[in-house]
Amino acid sequence: MKGLLLKDFYMALKYCRVFLFVSVFCIVMSFLDSDNLFLAFYSCMLCGMIPVSLLSYDERSRWLQYSETMPYSRAQIVSAKYLIGLIAQTTVLLVISAGFAVRLISAGTFDLGVFITVILLTLIISLISASFPLPFIFKFGVEKGRIAYYIIVGIASAGSVISSNLLTAGVPQNINLNAILAAVCIIGIGLYALSWYLSIVFYKKREL
Amino acid sequence: MNALEIKNLTKSFSDFKLDNLSLTLPSGCIMGLIGENGAGKSTTIKLILDMLHKDSGSITILGRDNSENIALIKEDVGVVMDEVGLPECLTAKQVGKVMKHTFKNWDQDEFERLLKKFSLPDNKSFKDFSRGMKMKLGIAIAMSHGAKLLLLDEATGGLDPVVRDEVVEMFAEFTKNGDRSILISSHIVSDLEKLCDTIAFLHKGKLLLCEKKDELLDEYGIVYCTTEQLPLLDRKSVKYMKGTPYGAEAIVYRNSIPEGVKVSPISIEELFLFMVKEAR
Repeated sequence: MKGLLLKDFYMALKYCRVFLFVSVFCIVMSFLDSDNLFLAFYSCMLCGMIPVSLLSYDERSRWLQYSETMPYSRAQIVSAKYLIGLIAQTTVLLVISAGFAVRLISAGTFDLGVFITVILLTLIISLISASFPLPFIFKFGVEKGRIAYYIIVGIASAGSVISSNLLTAGVPQNINLNAILAAVCIIGIGLYALSWYLSIVFYKKREL
Repeated sequence: MNALEIKNLTKSFSDFKLDNLSLTLPSGCIMGLIGENGAGKSTTIKLILDMLHKDSGSITILGRDNSENIALIKEDVGVVMDEVGLPECLTAKQVGKVMKHTFKNWDQDEFERLLKKFSLPDNKSFKDFSRGMKMKLGIAIAMSHGAKLLLLDEATGGLDPVVRDEVVEMFAEFTKNGDRSILISSHIVSDLEKLCDTIAFLHKGKLLLCEKKDELLDEYGIVYCTTEQLPLLDRKSVKYMKGTPYGAEAIVYRNSIPEGVKVSPISIEELFLFMVKEAR
């Protein structure tokens, strides 16, 4: 598994630099515009696309076939892609969290509840958006999976704008935000776990 | 122990069927798989590696069923496919690091020795390698993790004749101590003739023949004659025959040819071509 992660790391350094630059830009812009959380969400979701991009290069170089000559199980090959995505998303999330906390503290408006809500929402939305294309890709190949991903990113982005407006406009008193947040977290993590499981099942059945 | 045992292996596609293939490769031996394009050579190797799922039959690699923990079995199997599918951005040095974390028995010194032997650059991207260089890197990987069985699918394709000769010698050296084996498929029958102990002919998914090379060469010979002389040969002693622009050629059983008839040695390539044309 370490070998697979190292190989993906080398590839990400070479092919996914643009993700890094766009993520940094989005994070900086989101800090400058305190009312707009979309860019922070977007940078995190963008990193969820790294596994899709790496799989595209894998398919082009016939790595998927070549890796079958090595002592890796199909489950490990799938899991390496999920892990590399998680590592990238977690790294970006940590940067967003640190910047967001600094901004709130310096403005004297730090509220632990709002802070945790925003970070959790960012994590869950990016996990959900990353979880959709991978089972399609592991079953059908990169192109069809990519189409599914673009649809999901559009939906998730719209959702993030709505969430952002909800947070900034204040929460109606009859809505239990904590309950909604807990439900979103459970659904998000559940979908991600389901996606991981389905990818393994599909890829095990695929003939290369 | 046999390095590889294939029993009644069958795999169907919409336009091709690998039909009831059975092969045994004893330890210390080299078996050559010869066949036209689409004969089933690559399909056989993919089935051995469980890249394709068999319809029926069994495959045992180094005494272990390939449907049980194939990942573990692959620690002991070196593979060179007709295309080495390494990521294009990786250098040979990075490939070494990846493989070090891939194979438990990875031998970095051996890998570096082979890189030098093949004159492969350390820091050049894989995408800038020629086809021959790519194959050499694939061979270096396959031979640097203490494999007990090498599966080579057109592994000498793209190599120039000098390097090909060196590589064929390396493969022969690989099996010298008696506990390591090779299954090799190639279009370059002369390489297989030089290297193999056993030859298997595949044609349209069926095994036409699987015999020890020396026995084949002892058993069969070729008679060059005129078309008028051809009917004079005993039909029972003739396996295949054909007309040529200069007369006729017949593959014969050496034992049953009467004295006085000049029988020339046959090459594996000639035997293969005769058999395939006959099968058509």
